[in-house]
Amino acid sequence: MVNVVIKNLTKKFGEVIAVKNLDLEIKEKEFFILLGPSGCGKSTALLCIAGLLKPDEGEIWLDNELVTAPEHDVYVPPQEREVAMVFQDYALYPHMTVFQNIAFPLEVRKKSKNDIEKRVEETAELLGIAHLQDRKPKQLSGGQRQRVALGRAIVREPKIFLMDEPLANLDAKLRVRMRVELKKLHQKLGTTTVYVTHDQVEAMSIGDRVAVLKDGDLQQVGTPKELYDTPENIFVAGFIGSPAMNMLEGNLVEKNETLMIDLGVSMFELPTRMKEKIMETKASKVILGFRPEHITLTKKYQNNAIEAKVDMLELIGREIHVHLTTRECPLVAITTSTEDVKVGENVWMTLDEEKIHIFDGNTGEALI
Amino acid sequence: MKFPRPKRILLYIILILFAFAFILPFWTCITTSLKTKHDVIYTVPVEPPASPTLEPWTEALDIMGKPLLNSLIFTLFATIFSCFIGSINGYVLSKIRFKGSDMIFLFFSIGIFIPYQTVLIPLLLTMSRLGLYNRIEGLILAHTAYGIPICTLLFRNFYREIPDSLIMAAKTDGAGTWTIYRRILLPLSSAPFVVAGVLQFTSIWNDFLFGLVLARGSEALPASVALANLKGTTTAFWNVQMAGALWYALPVTIVFLILGKYLIRGYMAGAVKG
Repeated sequence: MVNVVIKNLTKKFGEVIAVKNLDLEIKEKEFFILLGPSGCGKSTALLCIAGLLKPDEGEIWLDNELVTAPEHDVYVPPQEREVAMVFQDYALYPHMTVFQNIAFPLEVRKKSKNDIEKRVEETAELLGIAHLQDRKPKQLSGGQRQRVALGRAIVREPKIFLMDEPLANLDAKLRVRMRVELKKLHQKLGTTTVYVTHDQVEAMSIGDRVAVLKDGDLQQVGTPKELYDTPENIFVAGFIGSPAMNMLEGNLVEKNETLMIDLGVSMFELPTRMKEKIMETKASKVILGFRPEHITLTKKYQNNAIEAKVDMLELIGREIHVHLTTRECPLVAITTSTEDVKVGENVWMTLDEEKIHIFDGNTGEALI
Repeated sequence: MKFPRPKRILLYIILILFAFAFILPFWTCITTSLKTKHDVIYTVPVEPPASPTLEPWTEALDIMGKPLLNSLIFTLFATIFSCFIGSINGYVLSKIRFKGSDMIFLFFSIGIFIPYQTVLIPLLLTMSRLGLYNRIEGLILAHTAYGIPICTLLFRNFYREIPDSLIMAAKTDGAGTWTIYRRILLPLSSAPFVVAGVLQFTSIWNDFLFGLVLARGSEALPASVALANLKGTTTAFWNVQMAGALWYALPVTIVFLILGKYLIRGYMAGAVKG
């Protein structure tokens, strides 16, 4: 089994820096996600791992073998790396049948005819596309094409799978189903996988660990739970989770031994366990972050509650998304009952103090 | 039944007049080619022959037989060579980026616009020094070289439409540069091959200047030059000349009849995706 180590990777396209000093360590058998908005450099990083792009600086190690190091003139071409890639547009060879598409990597490697037939058969069986083997890609649905692309990657038993937004072109329902299948497939094969996506829900649901990138910069690496519970900066906090984390700006003030955030309309009292740590950072402007599900809405004032106006109710079946504003800042809360909430009226938000986040107002870094 | 509007009728009248004007020379060519020497003198050209004969056709073939064969050989070879080289060039210039590739492409593009006349003397000198003067190989080489720029342009533009991910997938699948060309791009290239092939075939077949300069006598004489020689020096045998012209037009017509529908498809391939 194989691990991937990326050290100080930098890739420029002219003046634009696509990836900046990226350091990553992907463990054996891991389902690793590169997550970020479009243009964050995640695909560039993936193409560098595949050897399809040559970085400007840094090192890439696959299975303890140095495969890319421009400073030392090391570059192993993609043909010789034991990696298989799945592309967003599937990149199926349009003139070949499903069988020929899946067999292609084996044929190029000069495997025997019997061996090829056997392995293509097994792969097609595994992916449930055995009955489609004589069709051309044109005659397949999106989901079927996706499976053929996976088949072509699996059939040669590579050491690493690289996937570049493989589900982005599927419709929402199929995407959710394929997501589960991909995860199952990974559990069955146990091949180290690097997966690029801009969809945080996808990342959270299938990733063992997730690396969040923005403008070529690595923001945070961690398990989905770590990213959700302890985001290291406001970018990660805002990017992970749907609906996104609510954020309110305010100034720190100390009154009667308690630390508070002056939010303009109201004062929010911080729990005493946070006081020391925050005081150490000497920050004055801060951002208070809290997730929609950690808000309790009441009609009557509660201790340490923040007032907000109800703008709209979104009934999403199981739960209700309440859109609020306080000091012209839009917020979302998730509740299960609308008893106390009426559009146009004011309510009080009580936050779960265990689950709040405090970020530096200038740098955006988490303070606790 | 609805009557067509007057504007429509006028349009059709104009179109029919144009069609008539286009067909007339061709019609005259056919009628004259089937006339005896006597008929040529005593009938109006557009009139059908009084006593039709195929004699001018056989007579023209006697003179043009060898040149037609020459033309067929060098046109076929030069067409195939220039298309394949253009296709490989197109692949390299569109899918394998290297320093200066855009510059090289620019030079190729300039090559399209170099008039034949400007290269005649250096071409003649080069060919005679290579010992290829008055040889079919020489004509193949000259036409291949001259066809490469336009073929390169055609194939490069076609290959640019093929997604890069296809090439990247083939690379990670383990295919090298040559395997990618042979197994992925070449099988997808039927449309540009038809377009470039027809274009090259007609332009090489119709060429007069290179043939006139690079060949003499009968060994390598192209049909275009032989046809011009049919006109004679003192008397004009119109019937034989017309028959010769029709023999000369035959191969190109056949090519168009066979490949015409693919040609339109090929032109459309660039315009309409999907």
